[in-house]
Amino acid sequence: MKIARVAALRGSLRVRLLAGTVFWVAASLLVAGLSLDRLFRDHVAEQFYASLQSHLDQLTASFTVDEQGRAALSMALSDPRLSRPYAGLYWQIDHLAGDGSVVATGVLRSRSLWDSVLAVPADGLADGEMHRHRLAGPAGSTLGLVERSVRFEAAAAASAARWRLIVAADERLIAEPVARFSGALWLALGLLGCGLGLAVVVQVAVGLAPLRRLRVALGRVREGAAERLEGSFPVELMPLVEDFNGVLAHNGEIVERARTQAGNLAHALKTPLSVLANAAHGRQDEQSRMIAEQVALARRQVDYHLARAQAAAATHGAGARTLLAPVIAGLLRTMRRIHAGRPLALQVSVMPETLAFRGEVQDLQEMLGNVLDNACKWAAQRVDLAAQRDGEVLRITIDDDGSGLTAAQRDAVLGRGVRADERTPGSGLGLAIVDELARLYGGSVDLAVSPLHGLRVTLTLPAAA
Amino acid sequence: MRILVVEDEPTLNAQLVSSLRVAGYVVDSTDNGVDAHFMGDSEAFDAVVLDLGLPRMDGLTVLRKWRAGGRATPVLILTARDGWHEKVTGIDAGADDYLTKPFHMEELLARLRALIRRAGGHASAEIVCGPLLLDTRNGRVMVGGQVLALTGHEYRVLAYLIHHAGELVSRSELIEHIYAQDFDRDSNTVEVFIARLRKKLPPGLIETVRGLGYRLLERP
Repeated sequence: MKIARVAALRGSLRVRLLAGTVFWVAASLLVAGLSLDRLFRDHVAEQFYASLQSHLDQLTASFTVDEQGRAALSMALSDPRLSRPYAGLYWQIDHLAGDGSVVATGVLRSRSLWDSVLAVPADGLADGEMHRHRLAGPAGSTLGLVERSVRFEAAAAASAARWRLIVAADERLIAEPVARFSGALWLALGLLGCGLGLAVVVQVAVGLAPLRRLRVALGRVREGAAERLEGSFPVELMPLVEDFNGVLAHNGEIVERARTQAGNLAHALKTPLSVLANAAHGRQDEQSRMIAEQVALARRQVDYHLARAQAAAATHGAGARTLLAPVIAGLLRTMRRIHAGRPLALQVSVMPETLAFRGEVQDLQEMLGNVLDNACKWAAQRVDLAAQRDGEVLRITIDDDGSGLTAAQRDAVLGRGVRADERTPGSGLGLAIVDELARLYGGSVDLAVSPLHGLRVTLTLPAAA
Repeated sequence: MRILVVEDEPTLNAQLVSSLRVAGYVVDSTDNGVDAHFMGDSEAFDAVVLDLGLPRMDGLTVLRKWRAGGRATPVLILTARDGWHEKVTGIDAGADDYLTKPFHMEELLARLRALIRRAGGHASAEIVCGPLLLDTRNGRVMVGGQVLALTGHEYRVLAYLIHHAGELVSRSELIEHIYAQDFDRDSNTVEVFIARLRKKLPPGLIETVRGLGYRLLERP
C-alpha cells in the first residue's frame, strides 16, 4: 500500500513538478534569507561599532590630564544615555602602567555605569590602537566595547601615564534591530514562498491541463466514442497525438486487413469444400462417407472461425451508430425472399424509428439476420419482432410459433457447433455466433418460450443516443 | 427448363452442370461476368445460378444490370460470402434466393425448383393441370396416378407447358427452354416431341395454335 503510493507519487508528473519546484524555491529562499540576515547583522554590527568609535573619538577629544596627573574631561559627552543609569551606553577611563598593566580601573566613568566598573582584561594595546571586546556588563547584559590607550607625555608626574579609554554599549542595540529585521525578512520570504508555491500549483495545473484533456480524449477512444484523439493540443503534445492517431489508424488497417484476409481465406476454402462435398455426395463407399464427414467438419470450423475473426475485429463500434429500422427492413426483405416458399407472416409489432444500436451495421445485421433466419426456418407461419429501448440498452425480441426448444436444448444451442436438429440446413452456429457477437458488445442473448409457443430470442444490445 | 450456371471455379461449374442435367434441366454455363450478362440478356432462361466473385464483372453488377434491363429471370446467388450484410445486398440487388457454399446439391436443386415454380405463380411443389400432375421434386408427370414414361426432352417440353398451362407457348420459346445455347436447334424436333407427347397424354390436351405455337389445356 505504502510502496504503491510512493510509486504513484514518483510516477506522477504533477508531484514531480511540484516537488522539484517547491524544493528549489524553498532552498533559494532559505539561502537568500540567511545571506540577507547575515548581511544585515554585519551591517548593524558595523554601525554599532562605528557609533561606539565616534563616542570614543569624542571621549578622546575631551579627555585631559591635569598637572597632578588626574584625569578629567574638558567637556561632557553629549549622548543623554550616558547620564542615565544602565541605559546601555557607557564609557570608562582606566589608568594603565607604562607596561600596560592596569593601575586603576574606572578612574572616570560615565554616569550610566552607576557603581559598577567594567573589568576589561588587559591586552597589549599599543598607543592610539583601537580594540574591540565583548564582556559581561551591568545588569546581566552583554556589552560590546571599543578601547583605545592614550599617553600624555606632557604630564610631569607621570613617569609613564597611560590611559585606556573605553566606550561600551549593550549588544541589545545590535540584537534588537537584527531580530526585528529577521522577523520581517522571514515573514516576507515566507509570504513570497507561499506565493511562489501557489503560483507553481496553478502553473502545474494549467500546464498539465492538456494532459488531462488528452486522457479524456483517450478515454473516448477506449470507450469507442471516438476513432481518434480529437481536439487541439499544445505544440509539445501534437507530435505525440499525431503519432498516436497514426498508430490507431495503422491498427485499424491491420485489423481490417486481418479481417479481410480471414474472410478471403475462409471464402477461398469454401469453393473447394463444395467441390469435394459434391464429388463425395451420393456415393456409398467408405471413402466418400469419410470425405463428406470431413468436409462437414471443415465447413463448421471455417464458419466458426470466420465468424469469430469478424466478431473479434468488431471495433466495438468506435463511434459507430446504426439505426435499427433500415437494418430490420433490409433483413425482412431478405427473409421474405429467402423463405418465399413458405407462407410466413413476418411482423414488426413495436419498432420506434429512432432506435439506434451503438455498434457496426454488419454486426447488427449478422446478429439479427441469424436470429430471424432461425425463427423463419422453425416458424409454422408467424414470426414477430419487437424492439424497444430500455435505458442504456436495446431489447429486441423475436418470437416464432414453431415447435420451440426444451430447456436443455436452449442451453445447448448457444454452445459451439451444437445443432438443435440436424434436419434443418445450416451449420448450427447461428445462435452461438449471435451470442458471441452480443457478448463482445457487452450484450446478451436469452432464449425462452414464446407467447406464440415457439422460441423467443431476446437480444440485449447497447443503445446509441 | 433451361438454367444458366455462372461459376468461375471449373470443377464446381462442371459438377453443377452435370447435377442439373441429371435433374432434367437444360444447362448453359459460363465462368465470367461479362459473358454471363450477355447470355442472360439475350437468351431465355428459367433460372440462373450466379456466383458473386466472378472475373471481368462481379456477380452483383451482372444481376443489377439484368434487373435494370427488365430481366426478371429468377436468380439464385451461390456464394461463399455468408454474411447477412452480403445476403441483404444480394437480395436488394434483385436476387430471388441466396445459398452459401459449401452447399448440398439437393438443397440447391430444391431451391431452384421452388424458384422456377414461384416464377410461374405456383406455390406448391406439385403442379396440377387437369388430369396431369407434375411433381417438380422428382421430375415426374402423373396421369391419373400413373407415372408417364418420358424421355428427357419430352419431359422438358411437357414440364414447360405445365408451368405455363393455359398460356400460348411459341415454338421458339420452347426451343429456347429445352435446348442449350450451343445445341444445333431444329424447330422440327419440337413438333416431333409434341407429337410423341400427344400419343402419351389424354387426347386433346395440347392445342396447336396455327402459326403461333402450342397451348396446354386443363381439359380437352
